[in-house]
Amino acid sequence: MGRKLVGRRDFMKSTLAGFGGLFFLPSIDKKQEMKMVEGKEKERKFVYRTLGKTGLKIPAINMGVMLTDNPNLIRTALDSGVLLLDTAHAYMGGRNEEVIGGVIKGRPRESYYIGSKVNLPQDRTTGLYMEGATTEEFLKKLDLSLKRLGVDYVDILYQHDVTRKESVAFEPVLKAFDKAKKDGKIRFTGISTHGNEPEVIHAATDSKAYDVILTAYNFKQKHYGEVRNAIAKASQAGVGIVGMKAIRGGYQQPPTVRNITASLKWILQDPNVHTVVPGFTTFEQMEIDLSVMEDLTLTEPEKMELQKEASLPSLYCQGCRECLGQCLAGLPIPDLMRAYMYTYGYRNLGHAQDLVLSLNLPDRVCEDCTSCPVKCSIGFNVSRKIRDVVRLREVPTEFIG
Amino acid sequence: MKERQLVSCFLFVYLTLGVVHPLWASNSDWKAFAFPEVTGWKQSGEIQTFTPKTLFEYINGGADLYLTYDFQELKVAEYSNEKKASVTIEVYRHRTSIHAFGIYSQERLSDANFLDIGAQSYIEANVLNFVAGPYYVKINSFNTGPDDREILIAFAKKVSETLGERGALPSILSSFPEEGKKKNSEKFISKNFLGYSFLHSAFTADYSLSGTTFKLFVIESAEKGDCKDMIEKYLQRTRNPGQNISEGLFNISDPYHGEIDLCWKGEYIWGIFNAKDLALRSKYLRLFEEGLQKRK
Repeated sequence: MGRKLVGRRDFMKSTLAGFGGLFFLPSIDKKQEMKMVEGKEKERKFVYRTLGKTGLKIPAINMGVMLTDNPNLIRTALDSGVLLLDTAHAYMGGRNEEVIGGVIKGRPRESYYIGSKVNLPQDRTTGLYMEGATTEEFLKKLDLSLKRLGVDYVDILYQHDVTRKESVAFEPVLKAFDKAKKDGKIRFTGISTHGNEPEVIHAATDSKAYDVILTAYNFKQKHYGEVRNAIAKASQAGVGIVGMKAIRGGYQQPPTVRNITASLKWILQDPNVHTVVPGFTTFEQMEIDLSVMEDLTLTEPEKMELQKEASLPSLYCQGCRECLGQCLAGLPIPDLMRAYMYTYGYRNLGHAQDLVLSLNLPDRVCEDCTSCPVKCSIGFNVSRKIRDVVRLREVPTEFIG
Repeated sequence: MKERQLVSCFLFVYLTLGVVHPLWASNSDWKAFAFPEVTGWKQSGEIQTFTPKTLFEYINGGADLYLTYDFQELKVAEYSNEKKASVTIEVYRHRTSIHAFGIYSQERLSDANFLDIGAQSYIEANVLNFVAGPYYVKINSFNTGPDDREILIAFAKKVSETLGERGALPSILSSFPEEGKKKNSEKFISKNFLGYSFLHSAFTADYSLSGTTFKLFVIESAEKGDCKDMIEKYLQRTRNPGQNISEGLFNISDPYHGEIDLCWKGEYIWGIFNAKDLALRSKYLRLFEEGLQKRK
């Protein structure tokens, strides 16, 4: 697939030393539209943006439905001002679309928007489509999605999970889009990516085949600058931009970002991002997300917190993988560093032990070398941390579970 | 310093008790797991392995849901035959059999065609999924033509044998009243039940009786105090103050879910929602309690 390894120089760009004026954009779009939204209990004023050439005016934050089958949560989100529900043919084996179908039944079709995604068989190693990835298969899946949702059309249909520029202009998918548009089954074409995003975004923009791009984008991406540039070019070309992974699983345990509000504001500082679709699963989380739309301004304490969080590489392995191949025993160092992080960072000993046990390590680990040749890009004493964490092998599982 | 304290704590407990849990064995079994050989088919490519950190590379946005069900590891193998048909086998290992059932139940369509493989399984065109112990197995076929069903079943049986444990559905499911229960509607929600973070996990089932559809649920806690804590928080959240927090029946006016009746006894909270008929609510809470008592 040709995934790019991140070198030390690139890595440092995302640390405090590399911030300069890039980490925060100078100001958000002053022309953005505020719109009064009648909620269940109160009226609120939300930031609205126009999704590129689609012309759809949507709130800056909408809902990624992929993690919930709670119809009342989805219903409440719609009643509170959310307009766009983001789902996929494959989420929950199709149940996700069914649950949405139950919620929207009886609502005026123009009162909400649906974005769904369809994928075709891909070679997991190369990221390229395989034999059998056909127009017919794509349309068959779309028809099933429409049936599950109980609608005649989806507003945006994405080609799901694209990581290679070659797949962006994959003829069978483009043909399927043409036919689906002609048949009135989709309003707008889209493409989703959360791997090798800049390449995919540039290719999608150049192809002129897409109305919307759904992309991973957050302040912890080592290449957020490249993503930002690609998004800017796409947006200037009229492509609507939907952001995802804005909080990188921040509502999960352990959370991957510390300040959800600040993380959402960070991505929405970029005026080229027209909306984001966080996957909330509780009413509290929904309320946090919606409240961000009332004022996108990053406060000074929030800025400091984001900067601090983005500049904490020395606590945990950053996955640059420069250590691979350096260990004489061929130990899977990034995995072991992750186990170390689970142990001391997240206090998730079960997770750490399972990971260590799954690595099929030799009996003697880091005991036979007189000196360690591994040079960690952020200066970890790798062998010390490995010797420490592999002791988890000796602890009976029931003490941890 | 903290690191030392943590490891000292491990070692103290380990040395004091000095016992080894059977779960070690299941880890060993997993290590030894090898995808089966199937006559007429050969494995193409290498077996791929994904961890919680890398799962998104395989199933992208769908990975987040698996992580909420304590996903541990995924192994994937692809097979092909001379007719250019292919079969992909995905074996997801979760931390417990309940979590494996949970993610399986989230993806299971209740009107699917069920089979007798593993603890439960179902088949559709080009898809066969089953759950067995802590494993959730998904088999997908491509270009298999009219023999699709036979091929999927043959692969599923081989994988099931190789995993070595058939497992069983969570025993608490037998506590749900049978009358009116929609077949195969039982689910395990691993967290944020009803959209509230303080209500952790729950088992649910859908019911339909004389045109009325409603839902039953049970929350099983490690200790009684947890149940009290959950009810207290629920009452606060739904602005239902003044109810005495002791074991018994609670009626909650939930702004999002409507009227919910729930009972608390010991380590269990069970309840009913989407049902307007008081008599029906009362009847089902009683039947549920009887089911839970039988379980004990």
